[in-house]
Amino acid sequence: MRWLPVSLVLVAAAVVLGGAGRLNAYWMHVAIIAIYYAILASSWSLLAGYVGLFSLSHMAFASIGGYTSGLLTQSQRIPIPLGMLAGVLMCCLLGAAIGWVCLRMSGPYLAIFTLGFSEIVRITIATEDDVTAGMAGLHTERLFATATTRLPYFYAAFALLAVSLLLMGLLVRSRWGLFLRAIREDEQAAAASGVTVARCRIVAFAIASGFAGLAGGFYAHYIGIMTPSVGDLDEMAKLVVMTVIGGMERLPTAVGGAFVVQFLLEWLREYGQWRLPVFGIVLLLTMRLARNGLLTPLWLPLLRLGETRDQPLVAASTLPRKEPGT
Amino acid sequence: MSGRAELVRGVGLVKWFGGIMANDAVDFSVAEGDLVGLIGPNGSGKTTLINLLTGHLEADGGEVRVLGQRVSGRPPHIYAAMGVARTFQLTQLFGRMTVLENMLVPGLTRPHSTWDEVVRRARRHLDFLSLGHVARLPAKNLSGGQQKLLELGRCLMLEPTVLFLDEPFAGVHPRLREELLDRIRELHRAGRTFVVVDHDMESILRISQRLVVMARGRKIADGAPDVVRADQTVLAAYAGL
Repeated sequence: MRWLPVSLVLVAAAVVLGGAGRLNAYWMHVAIIAIYYAILASSWSLLAGYVGLFSLSHMAFASIGGYTSGLLTQSQRIPIPLGMLAGVLMCCLLGAAIGWVCLRMSGPYLAIFTLGFSEIVRITIATEDDVTAGMAGLHTERLFATATTRLPYFYAAFALLAVSLLLMGLLVRSRWGLFLRAIREDEQAAAASGVTVARCRIVAFAIASGFAGLAGGFYAHYIGIMTPSVGDLDEMAKLVVMTVIGGMERLPTAVGGAFVVQFLLEWLREYGQWRLPVFGIVLLLTMRLARNGLLTPLWLPLLRLGETRDQPLVAASTLPRKEPGT
Repeated sequence: MSGRAELVRGVGLVKWFGGIMANDAVDFSVAEGDLVGLIGPNGSGKTTLINLLTGHLEADGGEVRVLGQRVSGRPPHIYAAMGVARTFQLTQLFGRMTVLENMLVPGLTRPHSTWDEVVRRARRHLDFLSLGHVARLPAKNLSGGQQKLLELGRCLMLEPTVLFLDEPFAGVHPRLREELLDRIRELHRAGRTFVVVDHDMESILRISQRLVVMARGRKIADGAPDVVRADQTVLAAYAGL
């Protein structure tokens, strides 16, 4: 029973991989973009949901990752995977720097600081025409230049999501994951418990930013063009909505939120100008009726099903009262 | 404290909050095996002193030494790593984490700790504190008294050399207060060192071997409880006599 949630996720993954070939080009594109957002949503949930750092610079890091890879593959002629890796490293370094600078910030102060950073990045990219091609957009090399369908991109995106979730999952289930959640709950108590709060916050910023850079790198080499709008505030708001609608305190629910919102927005296209108001109503209802996200109430029972009771519930009076270690 | 190692020492500690001097050149030391009661009226600077001695506040003057090493200005996790554990005036738990997870956090910060060993130790401490049956509950669901016990348990997971308990009996049901007192006594008999801050004079007098009294940011008495209780300065400051 312990492996039930993992088994169900693996079965779902097998079904998705098996059925992907049947999607038409349009829905295949929607699915690939949903996966791009899923990597971003899960990594943002690592930062905002697990550590409680409400950063608004996540899409800026996706943008930095995409531009770094796009520019390096263009100017240095390095292979695309190496370019994407360079983008990830760049984002990790910048993320660590941002994490260090805003060590004592939280809540609205952190949000405004990271929003400021995000705008600086967007405006710099938009105005530095000579390097980034500005608003015209930077044309980037395609990951599968000879591919005739989008299927290879789908598999590549899926693999990146799987690896990202595996690594982030290992992190949140380790002692470091416990420390990150303790910091979210109470920084002062975490420090009193021996947790190196500053180091954990910086590392969390670096890791989450690295995954954002990975998603941005993939996006750059899938779409074939990077524009400053990748890192704008509308995109950040969409990412926050995806993560919150799914459930920001767990990686699988954040991923689910990205898929639900991306497919919902596409499905609502037939409502024309009413698309966004209808979506707004969904958002309002979620916040009113399911503040922990729409998918959390579905995911938690699954986790409980997988739990095993390793100790009977016994009355306090029957417990031994011997001083430990004596 | 003759012959016993000095664990924590604050020398001439000064702390200002705006124009108010919360601690005015306070000297305070605790030696191995002590069970010190720290009392004083509201606003006398007890919690400020605890915050300075555990690294949660930086002193404007004076210095803090732990096991003889100067640690003033270092972050609280350094104090915790040196065996200085504390609870808070208003209980500060990791509310949405389970009781067991609350215990695991400090345990896993210890060097060379392994997950299995820490879980075993946490369960042992939870049983000792009569919290074994709520190990899987979120900490925020516990009663006020159980939360105080859990905070004490979290301190024990650090394998501390000294525990500073800030108002452990405040708002606790009398039955659980007795339980808390029993646990503190048992732990002290087993060799733990305590500094207990509280307004509940009766509880403090029942357990402490040494009484320190503060008033208006200054230490006004330090000695055996019987002697301190009869001190006219203490009576004047504490009871307004």
